[in-house]
Amino acid sequence: MMNGQAISALREVFGERLDTSREQCICYSYDATGKMFLPEAVAFPVSAEEVRRTILLANEHRFPVIPRGAGSGFSGGSVPVQGGVVLSVERMDRILSIDAENLIAVVEPGVVTETLKEEARKRGLFYPPDPASLKFCTIGGNIAECSGGMCAVKYGVTRDYVLGLEAVLGTGELIRTGVITVKGVVGYDLTRLLVGSEGTLGIVTKAVLKLIPFPETAATILAFFRSNQDGSSAVTGIIGERITPCALELMDRTAIDCVRENVGLSVPEETGCALLIEVDGSKESVSSEAERVERVCRRYGAIEVGRAEDAQGRERLWTLRRSISPALRKVNPVKINEDIVVPRSRLPEMLAFLADLASRRRLKIVNFGHAGDGNIHVNVMISGTDEEERRQADEAVAEVFRKTVALGGTISGEHGIGISKAPFLEIEVGPLGVSVMKRLKSCFDPNGILNPGKIFAEEGVAQR
Amino acid sequence: MKRENFEPLTAACAKCGTCRTVCTLYPERKSEISVARGKITLVEAAVSGLDGNAEAMQEALSDCLLCGRCERGCPNQVPVEEIIMKGRAALAEELGIPAWKQVVFGKVMPSSAARGMARKAGAAAQKLLLRKVPTGSGLHYRFPERFGFEGRTVPGLPGTSFRESLEPGEALRGEVILFVGCVFDHVFPQVGRAAYETLLLSGKGISVFDGAACCGLPALVSGDRPSALRCIEENVRRLSDASPERIVFPCGSCLLMFRRNILSLLTKEHPLYADAVRVADRCEDYAGFLLASGVASRLPDPPKGERTGHIGYHDPCHLSGTLGKDGEGREVLRAAVGDSFSEMKGADLCCGYGGTFNIRDYPTSSKIGQNKVSVAADGGTTVIATACSGCILQMRDMAARTDPSLRVVHIAELVFQAFSRR
Repeated sequence: MMNGQAISALREVFGERLDTSREQCICYSYDATGKMFLPEAVAFPVSAEEVRRTILLANEHRFPVIPRGAGSGFSGGSVPVQGGVVLSVERMDRILSIDAENLIAVVEPGVVTETLKEEARKRGLFYPPDPASLKFCTIGGNIAECSGGMCAVKYGVTRDYVLGLEAVLGTGELIRTGVITVKGVVGYDLTRLLVGSEGTLGIVTKAVLKLIPFPETAATILAFFRSNQDGSSAVTGIIGERITPCALELMDRTAIDCVRENVGLSVPEETGCALLIEVDGSKESVSSEAERVERVCRRYGAIEVGRAEDAQGRERLWTLRRSISPALRKVNPVKINEDIVVPRSRLPEMLAFLADLASRRRLKIVNFGHAGDGNIHVNVMISGTDEEERRQADEAVAEVFRKTVALGGTISGEHGIGISKAPFLEIEVGPLGVSVMKRLKSCFDPNGILNPGKIFAEEGVAQR
Repeated sequence: MKRENFEPLTAACAKCGTCRTVCTLYPERKSEISVARGKITLVEAAVSGLDGNAEAMQEALSDCLLCGRCERGCPNQVPVEEIIMKGRAALAEELGIPAWKQVVFGKVMPSSAARGMARKAGAAAQKLLLRKVPTGSGLHYRFPERFGFEGRTVPGLPGTSFRESLEPGEALRGEVILFVGCVFDHVFPQVGRAAYETLLLSGKGISVFDGAACCGLPALVSGDRPSALRCIEENVRRLSDASPERIVFPCGSCLLMFRRNILSLLTKEHPLYADAVRVADRCEDYAGFLLASGVASRLPDPPKGERTGHIGYHDPCHLSGTLGKDGEGREVLRAAVGDSFSEMKGADLCCGYGGTFNIRDYPTSSKIGQNKVSVAADGGTTVIATACSGCILQMRDMAARTDPSLRVVHIAELVFQAFSRR
C-alpha cells in the first residue's frame, strides 16, 4: 500500500499529471489479456528526470512502479498486480531525430510504432518490426516485450533494431547503454539485456533505433493447400529454396473456417491450410523470387496459387489473414492466446500435435501465425463459463508448452512472459537460468520495486 | 447501472486498444479514460460495483464527441455509442438532469412555438449585448471576453424562421416530407429554403414537416431519454399519419436519430414500434434523394470558372461515418459546381462539435475544430460544403475566429445557386 506521504511526494513531481481517482486507476488496470489489477495512482511523466525521481521515491517509500505504453500486451506485462503507481509513458511521444545519413532514429518511449514507421518511410527508410498492434502500441512497450511481427522471418524483431538505450534502473540511476553506430563491443551488452526485460530491470526513457533503406517493391502470393501437412511442408520447401520472404503466414483449417464465407475471396472448398507469402526487394529479384515461390507451392500440392504485385491486389490477398483475429470470437468468446515458436522443420509435427490435442481434450483450438519463423499463434477458444472446459484449456496450454520445449522451441516468440506464462518459465530456461536471471534482477533493482510479480512465478500473483 | 442493460453490450470488448488509434479526443487528452476501452471498463466497473462514484463516472462518459470512429474501427463491433448513451442516461436518472437542460430538452425542443420564441428573444439579446463579426458565411456575433465564453462566436439569429417564411397554405401536402430540423429552420433559414426549393425540382409534392418536435438527438446524447422519447413519439405519430413516400433530411444528425437511434428508444414493446420501423425505413439524406429522384442529373452545367477546386466537402461523422453515406454529398456537389469541387484536405476529420460536448468543453472542441478548418484552408479550400447542422454551426464559429473569409455552407445552398443560374 502506498502511504499518504508517498502520494504527496509524487504530487510534487507530477502536479496535475498524477491521478489517484478510482476512475483513472480503473483505466490503467488492464491490458489486452483482459486481466485487471488496480494501481493506486497513475502518473504521466514527460521527462526522464520525472521517471528518475519517481524511482527514487519508490525506493524511499517502497511502492511498485509499473511502466506502461499503450496497454496492448498479451501477457500482462503492464498490469499492476501488486498495486503501486503506473507510469504511463504515452505523453513521452516525441521522435527526437531521424538521421538519414547514419540510418538512425532517436525516439521517446511513448512514440506509437506506426508513427515511427511512417516518418521513416517519408525519408525512404524502413523500421521493420510490425507487431499486429502497430497502429497503437508504443516503442517503449515493444522494447520491453521484444515485439516481433509478420516480417520477423526476414527482418528480425525489435531487439535487432535497438542500438542503444537511455533507461532509469531500479536504483534510480540513469544509464545510457549501447552505441549510435552499426558496431560496438564494449563490455557486456546491456542494451540487449534490457530489451525484453518487461520493465523489471529499468524503464526506457529514450531509444536509439536502427533503420534500413525501404525495399523498392514487393509481391504477395496466396496459396491454398489440402492439409496442414502440405502447407507446412511448403514452408520448409520455400526456405530450402534459399528464399527469405518478408512474410510467410500460415492459416490452418480451423482459422480458415472462421472466415471462409465472408472474406470476399473465393476459397476452394477442399482447402485445409493456406499460406500467405510476401517477397520484397529490387524489382528483378521480387519477380523471380515470386515465381520460384509459386513453383514450390505447386510442387507441395497447392490447389490454387494467386499473386498480386500492385498495392490494391496485395491488400486484397491480405484480407484473408487480417480477417482471422477479429473473427475468432465467432468460435467462442474467450481467447487464450499463446505464441510458441518451434524450429521451422518441426512445424508439421507441432501442427499434428495441436490437432490431436484439440480432439483429445474436446477444445476449439485455432492456429495461425508467422510460420516462416516457426511462430504459431495457438488460440484456445473457450466459452468462459464452463469450469471443466477452462480446466481442460489450462492443461492443454501446459501440454503445448512442454511439447514446444521438447521440440527445441520456445514458449514465447513475441508476447513475453508477464504474468500469463510465469508458471512455465522454468520448463524452458531451467533452475540455473531462473537463478541467474534473479541475480541480475537484484543487481538492477535491489528493492524489487520495478514491475513486481512479472516473469518469476513465486514472487507474484502468477495468474492465467 | 443495471448489469443486464450493459453486460450484453460491453462483453465483446477484448481490451485490444484499437480504439486508441481512431479516437478524435485521444490526441488532445492522451489518457486512456478518453478512449472507448477506458470508458467501457468504467461502465463494467460501475455495473459490478467496483466504482460507485456516479458524478465522476458521468464526467468520464460526457467527455466524448460520439463521433463513432471507435465503433467503426472496432474489430469486434462493440456498440460503443449505445453503451455511452445508455450510460449517460442511467447516470442522468441517478443524478438528475440539470435545470437548464430540463427546460431546453423538456419544454423548448419539443414545442415549435417555444423554439420560435426562444429564437426571437435570442436575436434581440444578440443585437444588444454582442459584438458584430462579418464573415464569409454571414453575420456572426462574438461574446465579449468578460462573459467567459473564450471568444466564442454565434450566428446572427434571423427575425423570421424558414417555416414562417412560407406562404399561408404552402408546403402543407405532398408525398415527400422535408424534415428541416431546428437549426435549418430557426438559425439558418436560408438552408431550409434552399433544401425546399431544390426538392421541388424532383416534380414531387413537397410538404415541410409540421411536427412539434425536435429530432430528439440533443436530449438523447445528454442522457435525457424521457425528453428524447417524447420528441420521437410525437414525430413518429405525425409522420406515420402523413404516410409519405420519403422523408428527406438536410441534417445528417437528425437522420441518424431517425435511421438508427429511434429503435433503441421505441423498442418492440412500445405501441408505436411498428410505425417507427416504417418511418425509419423511409428516411433519406438530402443528397441521396437528389440523386435518386434525378434532380442532380438535371442541374444546368456548371460554368467553367477561373478558380477551380476551391470548394470542398466535409464528412459529417454521423452521415458519412455511422450511416456510411460518404459518396452522395460529393456527387451532388460535383453536379452543382463541377470542377470547382475537389477533395478537401482532412475531409473526414471530425469538426469537434459533438453537440453538448461543445458546451461542456469549448476550449477542446474549438481546438479540434480550428485544426479542422485550418487544414482545409491550408489545402486551398475557400468554401466548405457539408450536410449537418452541428458541423455547420461549429465550422462557421471556427472560421469566424480564424479565417472569416472561409465560407461554410450546406450543399443545398450550392445546388440552389446552380439551379438559379438557369
